[in-house]
Amino acid sequence: MAAGMLHRRRFAIGLILGLIVGLSVLFALYREARNEIASQAAERSGIISLLSLTQLVSETGPSGDAMRQAVSAVASSDSSLKKISVIKGVSLEASTVPQDSAPRRLKRDEKPIFDLGQRLRAAVQTNREEQVARKNEIEIQQIDNGALRLAAPVEEEGSVTGFVMIETSPSAKPSPPSIVTPIIVGLIALAVFLAVGFLFGEKRTALAILALVILSAALAAYGMMVKRATEADNMSVENKLAKQLSEQSTRSAGLLTQLGITPKAQAKPGLWDADVYRTPRGILTDQGTINKTVLAKKEQSFEQQVNKFQIGILVLCLAILAFFGFGVASKLIQTIVLNRQAYLYVTPAMVAMLVLVFFPFLYGIVLSFTGSTLYNTEKPLTEIWTGLRNYYDILGDFSIVKRSDQGISINFQNFYWTFLFTVVWTFCNVTIGVVVGLILALILNTKGLALRPLYRVLLIFPWAMPNYITALIWRGMFHQQFGVINQIIQLFGGTPVSWFEKPFTSFLTALTTNGWLSFPFMMVVSLGALQSIPSDLYEAARVDGASRWQQFRSITLPSLKPALVPAIILSVVWTFNMFNIIFLVTAGEPAGSTEILITQAYKIAFQQYRYGYAAAYSTIIFLILLVYGSIQNKLTKATEAIA
Amino acid sequence: MPFRLGKIILCLFTFLTLVSVTAAQELVVWHAYRAEEKAAFEKVVAAYNASKGGKVKITTLAVPYDAFADKITAAVPRGKGPDIFIYAQDRLGGWIEAGNTVEPIDFYVEDATKARFIPTTMEAMTYQGTIYGLPLNYKVITMIYNKKLLPTPPKTSTELVATAKKLTDQKAGKFGLAYSYSDFYYHAALMNGFGGGVFDAQRKPTLNSAANVKSLEYLMKWFDTDKILPAEPSTALITSLFNEGKAAIVFSGPWFLGEIAKGIDYGLAMLPKIDESGKPMKPWMTVEGMYIASSSKSKEAAYDFLKYCTDVPSAKILAVEGRQTPSNKNVYNDATVGADPILKAFRQQVEAAVPMPNLPEMTMVWSPATTAMNKLTKKAATPKVAMDEAQKSVEADIARLRKK
Repeated sequence: MAAGMLHRRRFAIGLILGLIVGLSVLFALYREARNEIASQAAERSGIISLLSLTQLVSETGPSGDAMRQAVSAVASSDSSLKKISVIKGVSLEASTVPQDSAPRRLKRDEKPIFDLGQRLRAAVQTNREEQVARKNEIEIQQIDNGALRLAAPVEEEGSVTGFVMIETSPSAKPSPPSIVTPIIVGLIALAVFLAVGFLFGEKRTALAILALVILSAALAAYGMMVKRATEADNMSVENKLAKQLSEQSTRSAGLLTQLGITPKAQAKPGLWDADVYRTPRGILTDQGTINKTVLAKKEQSFEQQVNKFQIGILVLCLAILAFFGFGVASKLIQTIVLNRQAYLYVTPAMVAMLVLVFFPFLYGIVLSFTGSTLYNTEKPLTEIWTGLRNYYDILGDFSIVKRSDQGISINFQNFYWTFLFTVVWTFCNVTIGVVVGLILALILNTKGLALRPLYRVLLIFPWAMPNYITALIWRGMFHQQFGVINQIIQLFGGTPVSWFEKPFTSFLTALTTNGWLSFPFMMVVSLGALQSIPSDLYEAARVDGASRWQQFRSITLPSLKPALVPAIILSVVWTFNMFNIIFLVTAGEPAGSTEILITQAYKIAFQQYRYGYAAAYSTIIFLILLVYGSIQNKLTKATEAIA
Repeated sequence: MPFRLGKIILCLFTFLTLVSVTAAQELVVWHAYRAEEKAAFEKVVAAYNASKGGKVKITTLAVPYDAFADKITAAVPRGKGPDIFIYAQDRLGGWIEAGNTVEPIDFYVEDATKARFIPTTMEAMTYQGTIYGLPLNYKVITMIYNKKLLPTPPKTSTELVATAKKLTDQKAGKFGLAYSYSDFYYHAALMNGFGGGVFDAQRKPTLNSAANVKSLEYLMKWFDTDKILPAEPSTALITSLFNEGKAAIVFSGPWFLGEIAKGIDYGLAMLPKIDESGKPMKPWMTVEGMYIASSSKSKEAAYDFLKYCTDVPSAKILAVEGRQTPSNKNVYNDATVGADPILKAFRQQVEAAVPMPNLPEMTMVWSPATTAMNKLTKKAATPKVAMDEAQKSVEADIARLRKK
């Protein structure tokens, strides 16, 4: 192929791939939507039959011959219901299967049925107590061939006395939509591009605009066709359900008069079209007609969702088009082929990092966009998606100070207070660690020091001992009455301090403990760096008449910088997240004033069970440290090699 | 030739049938026991396996306590856990709400079985009207006193204060009464004794109810006015005070008995009656229950084992050799068990005990309650203010959790 066709070839490839991806995604979505509409229709139809039956049974009572008559009458007149059972406590009161010989006690292997009844009763009780629709009051199970098994509780005078279980007859899956339509749309688009592109020649911008327009037009056209078809499907489903509702309503009323039972409450067929929490959808009215306003609202929200989706797909396909059209793809392929050995060596490590580091990390970030708690762990993430609400709740909460009758008090649970405290904590700790570590390293570095290895081992000891144990010992030492610190203070004639009573003294205890733990690391780093400074520098300085302090400032400190600065970055990150010391020494006392960000996140996740919120908290901690690390790195050029 | 083949096939067939008939049903039990409790429990398991004549085989696995609950939460919903597991009732609510962990056993439990337990222990195994396990044993705090310092234990709160005052010398570090009163778990005994509680029947938190506040004011009277309690009571402090003979009375549970030094002659008695409220001190009981995992494939066989473990012969082994206090009330009629003073003391105390709430919301209560207790015992806030704050905090947490 002549080099002159390069741009047309690239854009053609980009267009083809964009069309394939876009049209197939739209096609798959359309097929999914049709299946979803059909299954929702089957579910709603099942629920309507179930709730009309439940209302009937609650009028007749879940036991007795009147109830059994009503049930058999319903079964014989309604062909869509394959099996009806009514259960009260441990006994099967009615069943349309003659072999069941109801009423009888449930058999041993029918335990799941009994448990279902208990679950429904508990669900009704929970929802009522918490005044939130949290647990399913109707349980739906898919059995083979698209048939459904549904169960709903029967209530008499406000308490659940039994439940009704029905099985619907199998419903056929809707036929898959025609695949010819998107293929035709794609071919037309490609043909138009090739034809007009031939006229444009090799002008890259013109070709780009042409491809963009054709791609958008093709996807928009097919998208419109899909949307229209879905709306028509929806409408026919609503009509069918409305008809079913009015039929069943007349049937129920007729049966009750036939059995000579006056209904205790007026039947509201509009409530039969409900969701699994028995909240009515409001689309169908008591008379069996469609409520146009509610339906319009539902359609509007559906349209908005579909539009959002289609725009997303369009953006993705345009990205694909740009990727191939502007030659990025070919450059990438060239690079990989050129360095294929290098990429091969890197692959195992990349895969391991992907699985062990990136995937859990990304999952945490995804979790932070949901409202995941203990109560909804089984729900798929898309159902509990809350977007940026967690972040907004954390970062937008400025109530740091509270006014009460005792004056102004600080809200210690506030993110900004905890953040401020964590920063102060980190700053103080790193300062103490570096200063003490550096001083000790300088002392240890003096020439001719006796027993130097012994000192080194002793001074490493605080770091070597598990910090869990150290923390607990220090906590014991700060005990108000029996701790060593207070006893020493008393020895010198002072008054013992109640360390964990005030935020400042509590902070001091944690600071002391962490200072004790962190100086060995700094000492080791400084010692290593000190020993690499050539001694003739000092010789030269002494000869020039520099004082000890000038030597320290001009020779020692700059040479220590490349070693100390990365160590400080590390230390900052570790101290920022120093969970053990805060949790074990102060436990946030008093009243959560000495909490750092990471201990707050822990409490939120494992004591309040709010996983999504805690994930957002952790992501914010990560972002803070990332920003800090990048800034520090750039400012000090710490990771640059020494020339 | 065909005859030989026929014989071979017949032999094979018989062999296979026999194998399938004698193939034992295997069930796995997870527990967190160590030392004597573990030995006693394994004895019960061995007895059960023998009684089943090889048809059912129970194997046990000791899982460390710290990791136990998390392992169950992770393994059982994915079908990988045990068939049966033994744990306290405090995580029960959380597991039930998470789903697919604990199997409800209402269907199997007959009235006769239910009747063999101390009623409150059965309550601890019930969540929203459904029974989820059989109670194995219980733990409560009771009064442990130094017989040398105190020959007869006090029966009422007035007696307690009078006796404790006589035995307290703050300068010498001696106290008449020492217990972890700033730990909300230990304070529950006073709280329930005044008619208070953490949740009401509709599962709403009632931390700042009038009764709770009164119980805290009463506690502060013991600390402030009567001055019979030490400051900053950690469990380590209480143990060391008692072992040095510097604490006459301690309120603690069976876990404390193992820490008592050899030279101390100690006795157990019921917690005193509170004269101000007319009711006895009612500590919380932690009930260890046996649960069937939802992922178990042999639930009926598992329930059979549950019934066996909670029956009198097994309860006797667990009591005498495992030093547990079983929930089966009939085992206390046995001579050996009835004669043991420690078991008798705890059996008496459990009559005035209340099961700790097994709701998942309970975990949200500990932190604010501890903060409140610390604040008011250090007199940084009055009981009412501290509990009001705790109540607000718990309500907020629960509301956030229950948002759909």
